[in-house]
Amino acid sequence: MSDDKKVEAAPPKPPPPAGPPAPPPPKNPGMVTFTVDGKEVIAKPGTNMVEAVKQVGVEIPYYCYHPRLTIAANCRMCLVESSGAPPGKLVPACQTAIGEGVAIKTTTDKVRDSQRSVMEFLLLNHPVDCSICDQAGECKLQDYYMRYDFKPTKLEGGKILRNKRKVLGDLVVLDQERCVLCTRCVRFMDEVAKAPQLGVFGRGSHEVIDVAPHFGKLDSNYSGNIVDICPVGALLNRDFRFRARAWFLSAAPSVCTGCSRGCSTFTDFMGQDVYRYRPRENEAINKSWMCDEGRLSYKQINQNRVLSSVLGRGADSREASNAEAVKYAAMKLQPLAGGVAVMASPVASNEDLLAGLAFARDVLKAKQIYVSGRPAGAADFFLMQADKNPNRKGLEWIAAAYGLAVKPFTDLTAALDAGTIKALYAIGADVPEADEVFAKRTEKLELFIVNATNTSKVTAAAHVLLATTSHVEDEGTFTQEAGITQRFRRAFPPKGAAQPSWKWAVDLALELGNEIKAMSSRDVFRSMASAVPELKDFAWDKLAPMSKIRPGITTMASGADGRPPGWREDGIPNMRGLSTPQGTT
Amino acid sequence: MASGDEYDPTPSEDELEAHLQTRNMVVNLGPSHPATHGTVRLRIELDGETIVSMDPEIGFLHRGFQKSCENVTWTQVLPYTDRLDYVAALANNFGYLTAVETLMGVEIPERAQYIRVIGAEMHRLASHLTTAGALGLELGGFTAFLYALEARELLTDRVTELTGARLTTSFGRIGGVNRDLPPGWVEKVTKTLIKVEELASEVDALLTRNRIFTDRTRGTGVVTTEDALDFGFTGPCLRACGVDYDIRKAKPYWVYSKLEFKTAVGHNGDNFDRYYLRIMEIKESISMIRQCFAKMQPGPVMIEDWRIALPPKEDVYSSIEGVIAHFKLVMEGVPVPPGEVYHSTESPNGELGWYLRSDGSGRPYKCHVRAPGFQILSGLKRMCEGKMLADLIPTFDTINMIGGEVEQ
Repeated sequence: MSDDKKVEAAPPKPPPPAGPPAPPPPKNPGMVTFTVDGKEVIAKPGTNMVEAVKQVGVEIPYYCYHPRLTIAANCRMCLVESSGAPPGKLVPACQTAIGEGVAIKTTTDKVRDSQRSVMEFLLLNHPVDCSICDQAGECKLQDYYMRYDFKPTKLEGGKILRNKRKVLGDLVVLDQERCVLCTRCVRFMDEVAKAPQLGVFGRGSHEVIDVAPHFGKLDSNYSGNIVDICPVGALLNRDFRFRARAWFLSAAPSVCTGCSRGCSTFTDFMGQDVYRYRPRENEAINKSWMCDEGRLSYKQINQNRVLSSVLGRGADSREASNAEAVKYAAMKLQPLAGGVAVMASPVASNEDLLAGLAFARDVLKAKQIYVSGRPAGAADFFLMQADKNPNRKGLEWIAAAYGLAVKPFTDLTAALDAGTIKALYAIGADVPEADEVFAKRTEKLELFIVNATNTSKVTAAAHVLLATTSHVEDEGTFTQEAGITQRFRRAFPPKGAAQPSWKWAVDLALELGNEIKAMSSRDVFRSMASAVPELKDFAWDKLAPMSKIRPGITTMASGADGRPPGWREDGIPNMRGLSTPQGTT
Repeated sequence: MASGDEYDPTPSEDELEAHLQTRNMVVNLGPSHPATHGTVRLRIELDGETIVSMDPEIGFLHRGFQKSCENVTWTQVLPYTDRLDYVAALANNFGYLTAVETLMGVEIPERAQYIRVIGAEMHRLASHLTTAGALGLELGGFTAFLYALEARELLTDRVTELTGARLTTSFGRIGGVNRDLPPGWVEKVTKTLIKVEELASEVDALLTRNRIFTDRTRGTGVVTTEDALDFGFTGPCLRACGVDYDIRKAKPYWVYSKLEFKTAVGHNGDNFDRYYLRIMEIKESISMIRQCFAKMQPGPVMIEDWRIALPPKEDVYSSIEGVIAHFKLVMEGVPVPPGEVYHSTESPNGELGWYLRSDGSGRPYKCHVRAPGFQILSGLKRMCEGKMLADLIPTFDTINMIGGEVEQ
């Protein structure tokens, strides 16, 4: 305001010099206002057209552009008409910043012609591979062909042949014929993975992506991400290749349990098997990426699972029903109440720990817990952490809120060796030392009860082995190293007779005459998390929602897509009171 | 109980003199009964032989048609439509496809429109022959039924040659029909039509002036024009009441506007009119098919747009463009733009209407069928109450209720 007055007081200005008229003042100060296909858009200065027009629902197609990589503008798919461009020229929408008052048109004949020409060139030497290609169903070439080209080929004669199975590294294989040379992978390795191992070699029609010769092979811990960002079926994950068609997989929002970073993921599953993890966008934790080690950690959900409870040790052991296991464990625990040590793993979810530690404190009368968990491993510059346990923070929070002292694992081994512990209740069978060493230490125990997902030397040493679900078979939360609590959703029902740790705690508590009121992990969180100050405000129901509409090809609505018959991703439908919705009592 | 319960077998004088005390009796016609054709249960309350009240109970053939459609692509709905009016599957197939095409704003090639008229009229013949023959059969005239079925069998054979299936034709695709007429088929159908015409005349001659038949059908199952309109009757049942409403005339689709045909209209709304109107329509349909053969020109039978029509197989096997289009069309379905449509065609029993709603994906968001038989069946109670039980059978015949479409 005071500035305006000064201007008025100043003597009249000389007339402006001849030249182009000054641009009009911005319609919305601080923002850029422009139109796309007649719709007005307001965006921050410097935003590119592709991103800016998304807010009004206009989609500009692109291959090479990626919001987290530098702009290459080499695929030419995003060319649009802009009033700010030189006459007759189209501009790449991914590279061009929006300008005040500019009118962008994305559906004119000129743009459509350009898009069709680009598609025609991209498909010119593309092999007829959809039927054997892993990317089919989630391929941008397919999507854009149907939307922007939909015309027969004009090619006469053969296509240019290149290497169809060039192994780039342990996890990635490249089909050079399918590649559209968008260079997303090259830029990713350079900018995000900080390992500029990929490059473009050759010229013209013989241009290919390859590993730079002096690297020999692609050996980054982030190589799996180039498979995700490859818009076509050129880069393929060797672990996933030829194992499942993309449209038969269902996806559940989940969290990687490979380390304490807790990258947001999608768990892609079919039936009761996980086929792959994919990173899920999370600005605070993993952006759009995840490491190869975490990506392959899905395998432990499928392999060596404890599918039913086992009673007894060694030659006397026998499989038992869950009800029998609860009775047996309770019978063994009853005389030992007050003398049972509790070992909790930071691999278990907050819900498992909320119920499990409540059981430890109230029923087993424990005053302290020993923290087990996976041994520390390697860390790297980006996402991977040395602590390989996804929920250490949550464990510490809950134990502190419950007034349980947290003791290190070494205290437990010392006490075991000294023989001061007679009985041990373990939530989780992971131990930060060699399994056989720990199994040896537990030999003298009178009672060793283990909640375990996977078989190991430790589970073999248990007197009572309680079959426990992995995180994708139940819903819950993990709190990663920076204190961010994340929700994960249930992908499929528990394998075998396994049930979640919190359920074992609830069942055992009931058998021992101390009711914990919870029918689901949601109940556990709602009734118990209020005691934990860090968790009590967590929006359990709202976060990481299941998508009801899946992009691309949708699966069948019934069991035809491999899910169990009647299974619904978002709970059981409430049909006239015959069944209760998931998460209610 | 009072002491009056004691049984004295000797009738009193009063009792012998008194009128017979009767009680209404409830009988079930169906669900499995030769005269119900489909599987429908008619719960009938009788006073002697007079129907006091009647309640048609449907649902025995319910298969969740509309909900099932939401789980499959637009094209995959087609086999479900076969099972609606299973006597005239082609009419359902083409009616559905035309509704989808209307929603998409797609115009199909003229030859495909002719093929659709030919197919729909052939199945109208089949349906009407069945109705007329079965009516004769159930009134004791087995001969007429055999003539009618012989004609229908000939037509079924031609339909089989065209579509590959006797009953569940699943013929036609969004954007046209999936294949052209087979070589020599037109000549075969031309010969068949001569035979069908003869046989239909036999049925006509056997029934229309038959004293027993006319006594049983004239003046029975009468429905007034007002009632018919109120109940939402369409097709032969409405036209028998004197209402000249035929969608082929009222709102022509395909190439009906290029064909010369008359709409048969009755006067009395009774069983005889509904029967005789069908005999008339048989003649019109035969004439229409002949006109189509004379008028149709060679040409494409499917629109050439790879977003809608499957690419030719050689393109699918040898070009990436073809394989992508094929893959996307088969896996995701034809992308129908968001919107809703109500479109109806004249099926043998009346107005077959489709209310379709698309959310822009390859699968229907909502697929509702207005099956002509549903409204007509709902009027059966009005047509039969207070009438003789024996008249129910011809009435049920001439309304030609088809379980597949009524119960969906």
